[in-house]
Amino acid sequence: MGYHTAHWENTTMTDWGMILSIGLIQNMFYATILASVLCGIIGTYVVVKRIVFVSGGIAHATFGGVGFAYYAQSVLLVSWFDPMLGAMVFAVGAALIIGSPRISKRLREDSTIGVLWVVGMALGVLFISLTDHSAVLVRSYESILFGNVLLVSTQDLQFMMVMIVAVLALVAFFYRDLQIVTFDEIHARITGINVTFMNTLLYVLVALTCVFVMNVVGIVLVIALLTIPAAMASMFSNDLRQIMLLAIVSSLVLSLLGLVFAIEFNIPPGASIVLTIAAFFLISLGVKSLNDRGYLS
Amino acid sequence: MENPPIEIQNLTAGYGHSVVLEDVTMNLEHNDFLAIIGPNGGGKTTLLKAILGIIPPKSGSIKIFGKSVEEGLKHIGYVPQKGNFDNRFPITVYDVVLMGTRGGKGYRPRYSAEQRQKAVEAMEKVGIADFASTTLSELSGGQLQRALLARAMAGEPDILLLDEPTASLDPQMKDCIYDSLKRVNDQVSILIVTHDIGVVSSQVKRIACLNRKVIVHDEPLITPDMMQLGYHCPVELLAHGIPHRTLGEHDHD
Repeated sequence: MGYHTAHWENTTMTDWGMILSIGLIQNMFYATILASVLCGIIGTYVVVKRIVFVSGGIAHATFGGVGFAYYAQSVLLVSWFDPMLGAMVFAVGAALIIGSPRISKRLREDSTIGVLWVVGMALGVLFISLTDHSAVLVRSYESILFGNVLLVSTQDLQFMMVMIVAVLALVAFFYRDLQIVTFDEIHARITGINVTFMNTLLYVLVALTCVFVMNVVGIVLVIALLTIPAAMASMFSNDLRQIMLLAIVSSLVLSLLGLVFAIEFNIPPGASIVLTIAAFFLISLGVKSLNDRGYLS
Repeated sequence: MENPPIEIQNLTAGYGHSVVLEDVTMNLEHNDFLAIIGPNGGGKTTLLKAILGIIPPKSGSIKIFGKSVEEGLKHIGYVPQKGNFDNRFPITVYDVVLMGTRGGKGYRPRYSAEQRQKAVEAMEKVGIADFASTTLSELSGGQLQRALLARAMAGEPDILLLDEPTASLDPQMKDCIYDSLKRVNDQVSILIVTHDIGVVSSQVKRIACLNRKVIVHDEPLITPDMMQLGYHCPVELLAHGIPHRTLGEHDHD
């Protein structure tokens, strides 16, 4: 399943026509597109509400779910419990715990997140070590943590599609109240919004996003897609919807570019996507700073 | 509505084991304009938090128009001191003011034409309409303060709670805010919390001094016993700096 190798020495061009006809590669592109749309929207909330660390905790907790799914499939013989489902159960569980007022009353939020973060990771390691590796094909740690888009199946894609429609519908439905809650929780409460519910809803949306996006870039690098495009967009716009749109477009263009680099230069796609986005983030930071000082006008 | 807008009885409140407010009994009357003064740490913010239901009372009760805080919240427009939000949040003044019109429980997907109209009127009342499409992060302290006041007014509340509404304003702007408040005072009961003693006595109807306990005066006078409670200073020392009329003799009832 190796990546295509580019031969720079004898200037052979990569045969993109051939590459793009491969089903798995097509899936990889589709998955990247879907992930960009999702991250552009949810990532905007993550950035403006400053819950990057919440997202990190949720993303890492999914590792426990992936491990548990392998264990369930091989030892408990629950064959339908696949890793994506396991990841979803753990991610949503973590979101509900972080959003619970009973817990936030007793613990600082970032402590809760830290605990979920490491326990999720440790459970993942434990379950994978208990898994019967002869009964089920376990992805490598590297591929789970840092991504391997080449492993996105058509079934995964269909599942992603359905969930993205659900997430978009929820955001559209609750757009105004999400705006109020992310802006000012105290005012939200006074105007009759159930702040706990809205916060938990947002965390669950973040959780679902993490689950899909980890298919593309892996658990560790989810934060990149969730944070960088929205942070970049927020430098250039002061309108929530515009930021979402800008984040989607930049994430789409840059992650597809990252994929192309990955294939062309034979490097792991997850890292390639993240570094491409990060490079443009730095460039736009520079442009913004020059612009603010009046050099560009 | 016969019940007073806010009725606080024997309220004791605080955080964990510490008591910040002790046995506080006071009312906000219809068309009242009550200023609560007191030193930092005297419990002014805690009192507002209790009225807004952010911290539960340890004992005693708070009623809003005779109802529980939770049910009564919809009558309240709240102007926070600096805002409990990130000033860099990407949002315009108009969108912030619109938030004030949401009102009531349940799902509110969109703002009606009527709500938009109310938001525009509220911005006009406090003289911030020119900044409607300005982003929050570009406002000065005074403009932000007025935007928050407009947000509170846009919901057409029966009660306005203001936390240090003039703290960061120059004198002209202070007058402007108080003028806006006086103009709505015939429909709205107003409670402000401040340590700006000088401005307060010339603008409000009643003054209360809060320092763990409370003394309420039915005229806009700061009395020697308020000073004693609030600042534990000999009144003679303070009298030099305060206009003579504000230190009137206070009859205990």
